Amino acid sequence: MFWRFVFGAVRFRRRRLLLAFFGLAVAATLATALFSVYSDIERKMRREFRGYGANLIIAPAPNSQTVPLQAVEEAEHLGASAAPFIYTVGRIGEERIVVAGVDFRRAGPLTSYWKVDGASAAEEGECLAGSVLAAHFRVGQGQKLALGSGPCVVRGIVTTGGDEDNRLMVPFEQAAADAGLHNAASMVEVRADGRKLEEIRASLVRALPGSDVRVLHAVAETEASVVLKIKSVVWLLALVIFAITTLCVTGNFSALVIERSKEVGILKAIGAAESKIAALFLSESLVLAVISTFAGYVAGLAVAYGIGRKIFSDNAQLSGIGVNFAVFGPVMAVTLLVAAVATLLPVSRIWRIEPAIILRGE
Amino acid sequence: MFLRFVGQSIRRAPRRKAMAIGAVALGSAVATAMLGAMLDVGDRVNQELRSLGANLLVTPKSASLPVEIGGIRYQLAAKDEFIPEAQVPKIKSIFWQLNVTAIAPSLEAQTKIDGRNVPVAGVWFSRNFRLPAGNSIMTGLRSLNSTWKVDGRWIDDREPDVRAADCMLGASLAARLGLQSGSTLRLFGETFHVAGILSTGGDEEDRVFVRLEVLQRLTGRGGQVDAVHVGALTKPEDAFARKDPAKMLPAEYERWNCTPYITSIAHQIDEVLPMAVARPIRRVSDNEGRVLTRVRGLMLLIALAALATAALTVWSVMATTVLERRYEIAVMQATGAGSGLIAALLGAEIVMQGALGGLLGAIAGAQLSGAVSQTVFGIRGQTPALLIPLVVAVAIAVSLAGAAQPLRQALALEPAVILREGA
Repeated sequence: MFWRFVFGAVRFRRRRLLLAFFGLAVAATLATALFSVYSDIERKMRREFRGYGANLIIAPAPNSQTVPLQAVEEAEHLGASAAPFIYTVGRIGEERIVVAGVDFRRAGPLTSYWKVDGASAAEEGECLAGSVLAAHFRVGQGQKLALGSGPCVVRGIVTTGGDEDNRLMVPFEQAAADAGLHNAASMVEVRADGRKLEEIRASLVRALPGSDVRVLHAVAETEASVVLKIKSVVWLLALVIFAITTLCVTGNFSALVIERSKEVGILKAIGAAESKIAALFLSESLVLAVISTFAGYVAGLAVAYGIGRKIFSDNAQLSGIGVNFAVFGPVMAVTLLVAAVATLLPVSRIWRIEPAIILRGE
Repeated sequence: MFLRFVGQSIRRAPRRKAMAIGAVALGSAVATAMLGAMLDVGDRVNQELRSLGANLLVTPKSASLPVEIGGIRYQLAAKDEFIPEAQVPKIKSIFWQLNVTAIAPSLEAQTKIDGRNVPVAGVWFSRNFRLPAGNSIMTGLRSLNSTWKVDGRWIDDREPDVRAADCMLGASLAARLGLQSGSTLRLFGETFHVAGILSTGGDEEDRVFVRLEVLQRLTGRGGQVDAVHVGALTKPEDAFARKDPAKMLPAEYERWNCTPYITSIAHQIDEVLPMAVARPIRRVSDNEGRVLTRVRGLMLLIALAALATAALTVWSVMATTVLERRYEIAVMQATGAGSGLIAALLGAEIVMQGALGGLLGAIAGAQLSGAVSQTVFGIRGQTPALLIPLVVAVAIAVSLAGAAQPLRQALALEPAVILREGA
């Protein structure tokens, strides 16, 4: 009987209910889109910050000149990218230059901000020249540089605006052999997941007692603060949107109750308890909320997918961009809550309705 | 008569009108809050990203190649290659001077401590810097690198003091020498006391920092500077920004020069300092652009999603208002009112509702976005003044658009049909 009432109402007052349904579906769509974006935003923003390169530096301890290469394995073991670098002074003709030994394969993810004309890695007998150095010696791609320790062919020109511009980059093994270093580097750069930075730093300090493990404050802290702030902005905007949507839906539902004053009057006149009538209204809106959730969820996933694709696609794996199916639960909860709040506010009128007055006329 | 009609309609059914106005106001509030936040968040994040340090490095034009590892020079620089300190303020006189947020000139030298070469940098820590325009700002290493940690205190060098005997040490160097803040050490034959220990994570940790004017005196290089680190707020580079300015058409060049790209700011610094060359530090500037583009895009899309839903809500509310008044419309038609008059009457009402709702919503939304900015970034965001009239105009347009279709339908139907139905 109760449910026949509920579904009957849905069928009879189509237009009003359509509007209420629409409002709730909009709320559910926004909830799905914002929850999906929010649940994934930290990972995505942090990935953008990977371009800044290392956020941890392993430098030699105060009384030593080198870092053991074991540091690289330790860092990789902890799930971070790491690359060793060697810096020595070499000669081209009579002039002294800085030669950097780079493990090009490992350094790739850490040096994505290098702007390279030509090849971005050098094999044995090859090298990359910094742009200032290349201009100074007037060499271009494919030309030979008479490096003191053995000539090399310039495969690429590197521009970073930093020290690399003045340096010659050669394969790590070659620089190590020239410098007489065995299983050691001048320093190791590490890119650790920003969320686990402190943990990884602590493990490295424990594993490498002879080295100085430092957090690059500028990179690590800027990342942390920007990610946190973007998260809070999205969260606050979501709250604002929900609050306003709730108000909108409340408006629709109070209109529903007001329009049906007469019906409430009749129900009261034939002896229905107020709480029973309120339950009737509430179940009506909850039924509506459940249907809206499904509609809004589908629409919201589409929006989230669109946002994810549009903004974060160029370096993301195509699987599951921006879409998080696990948000269904929270979306359902929010939509039901919005519907419940929006119904309960106007429903208090039921207690105030006097059947005699309402039924007598307008 | 017309006005009385509209006025009466509003007075007769205040609740229904209030609800329509309320719906428009809520929609407009969402729209304004989202647009305000969208415009604001990009700028705020740009400022946050400045904590990464300098994105431009200005060095003297040099014939020789610096041979330097971790601040130690393996070949002395030519004596005549420097930037005159007196010229440094010119960086703050370029077209994009307001985008230049921090300037930190430095002079490099090295000295032996315990038999090992140690790089010494003469810098501005936090200098009271008088601008060519007359006002002054505090700038230097400290404002450029807000993430650096200090154990002890920063040196206060608001005014130059050539005789000051204080210095700051990088943490790694301090550990090697066994010094803390408050210790003393000898540099260039003079005694300095350590004001603070700097932790940065980078190779600054192996340096000694003293006041610029003190190092100039100690090295006999009065008025000279080896490098200027510059922090600037920039617009992310796009394909246009990467074009070679030398090959641009005059109009293109003007547009390029009047956009705060990192390269155009560097170009302008080159112009005011002919003895120097300004280069973007790619690690900072490129990534800054990337992160900013992402953040702006994200805010834009969230704003669009919210805008679309707000517009749909307003649309649907207005459509129902008209549907509910079909009976009234039929009565007017039956008593001889023309379609144009009826449309004008209802249109005037809807415009009023849209304007009032839009205005209330826009003001509330501006407050909301300001509050969001205040909570997250600690600075109250300024909603552009133009946004409010824009939102009001859009609110009116959307309301009218929502009402148009049902109104046309109602006018097309025979009044008799509607009246018999009893609406």
